[in-house]
Amino acid sequence: MSNLSTIFGGGTTVDARKEGLPLFALWGGSGDQNTQMNYRVFDSNFRIVSTPWAAVTSTTSNYRFGMLSDASHAYNMSDHSTDFHSDLTTQGYSSWTNYQKSLYQIDQYPHCFHYTVSRGGFPTWQSYHQFTSSMEYQVGWTKLNMVLPEGCRPRRTFVNRRHTMREMMGNSDCNSDYYDYSSHLIDPSPLNYATGTGYNEKNKMLVMIHSGDEGGNTSKSIHIFRSSVCLNEGTTRIKDFFDNLESTEYFTDTWTNQNVKDWCVVVGNNNWVGFGLKQSNSKRYGVFDCNLKGAGVAITGASRQWSTWQDFAGSTTTSYGATQGHQYYTKFQTTWDGTWGMIYSPYYYYGPGINAFCMSIENPRKFININQTKTSRSNPWVAWGRTGFHGGWSDNCDGEVWQTYAFAFDPKDSDHTIATRVYKGSTSGEGAIPDNNSLVGGDFTNKTGVCSLDAMRTGLHGGTHTTNYPMLMGVNWWGNYGSADMSYGGK
Amino acid sequence: MATYYFNNKGEPATPFTVSGEELVSKGIGIKAIAPDGIESWRLSYNLSTKAVDVLYEGLSEEDAIAKKNADAQTLLDAENVEMAAAAKASETPPKAE
Repeated sequence: MSNLSTIFGGGTTVDARKEGLPLFALWGGSGDQNTQMNYRVFDSNFRIVSTPWAAVTSTTSNYRFGMLSDASHAYNMSDHSTDFHSDLTTQGYSSWTNYQKSLYQIDQYPHCFHYTVSRGGFPTWQSYHQFTSSMEYQVGWTKLNMVLPEGCRPRRTFVNRRHTMREMMGNSDCNSDYYDYSSHLIDPSPLNYATGTGYNEKNKMLVMIHSGDEGGNTSKSIHIFRSSVCLNEGTTRIKDFFDNLESTEYFTDTWTNQNVKDWCVVVGNNNWVGFGLKQSNSKRYGVFDCNLKGAGVAITGASRQWSTWQDFAGSTTTSYGATQGHQYYTKFQTTWDGTWGMIYSPYYYYGPGINAFCMSIENPRKFININQTKTSRSNPWVAWGRTGFHGGWSDNCDGEVWQTYAFAFDPKDSDHTIATRVYKGSTSGEGAIPDNNSLVGGDFTNKTGVCSLDAMRTGLHGGTHTTNYPMLMGVNWWGNYGSADMSYGGK
Repeated sequence: MATYYFNNKGEPATPFTVSGEELVSKGIGIKAIAPDGIESWRLSYNLSTKAVDVLYEGLSEEDAIAKKNADAQTLLDAENVEMAAAAKASETPPKAE
């Protein structure tokens, strides 16, 4: 029996936000970008998706010759310089050419810190003339940490500061919605500063931390809101979410934090919530039971906390976060399928390597430590495949293929009482598919286990035929899920 | 001197006993003795000598960072010179009128 639903598509609809498996771009060039350069977009299988070349010439007068729609124009046609060849070691955001390769460039949001890149391969750099006035630079730390359905990244940008949530249009400084939720705070002594907010779309649960200041104040008031209306629905205003609250709870606690702008909030599908941040050179992560307890019940952190706070168990060295500048706030990202999340910051200074907690979104009590200790030739990290991440490697590709640190999890594994399996690869086929039955990867004890990442070869030549250090760039739209080209269709 | 744990490539993995012993027990970590007061980015385990190497040994942390940055710049300058020379050599000479 036909009905309108089956006639027009079988009764199932794909979320309009849903993308295919993650893409990334690589930019490889000689030092001056005047003689050789190569720029391409790849899928999670390391196959080329697009290239923006119109024509290639090699002259001494055309920087970025032949590139379609090269929008790195701004003031002098090379705002972030013409040289992406430089190494990132200790440099901060204003060393544009170096910092392009910082871990801090990319998080779960589709825009990047210095630029955006389309799937068609058009990179657009922000003008550095107003860069320090930008939303991402000044208050990127107020963005919500989003837990979304499979294949979805945040397409609406909500921010939370003081007692007000606002909606921004992408990475601009333009407000499109505003709501003061102070009347919904039930802590009789609410703190004034919102310093970390997470939202889970599955259970329509919004969890926010309030602190005593925007510096290092340790007083905390955590509110847990559940609504019957989804915050991300296209027609929902922030007010609608709060007008339709089904429950509101809170608890208070005292939490160690070097800088409150570093807090990330991961709202699990099982209503347990992970809170994590970069803490000095290390990190901390703790998990709290935010299941409904009833009015006036469980209003202390101690009554809700699972186990104990976990300091980062991997290798640490001098590394910088929000204390050194609000733009260096701790980042959050999820795998494509939304089953695993990652709270992360650099191993070294402002960008190389990675110190991370990776946690199950189904159950944030299941988490391990992820570690990579590069101090130079780094790159950012992006979602990879269905349930993984990769990045972190920009060594010279003159004479060898481009490598990356890729790792993946089991999307069905959310049991915190058993070890977490991490799949890795190798620098050779025999290493990746060995002549034995050994796991290529490892099983790591919950909470304290440390997974040190290994580089693996991708089969890609990274850039030009001469010395080059490919820059990994985030792509703002990975293509429609299920589209004709299966290499990025996600099926 | 302090115990430090490295991965099987000799890269620093963790200073913590519980986490480090797990790596060792699974055959994916190496337990070694490292000098005190050296930040982990300068430590590596030499798989040939079976001892911990310290990058820029003898230098303070501040001097080691300065040396690292200087070395990176020197390498970059040398590469740029080399590439400029290669580019010039590959240029097609203008046709004679």
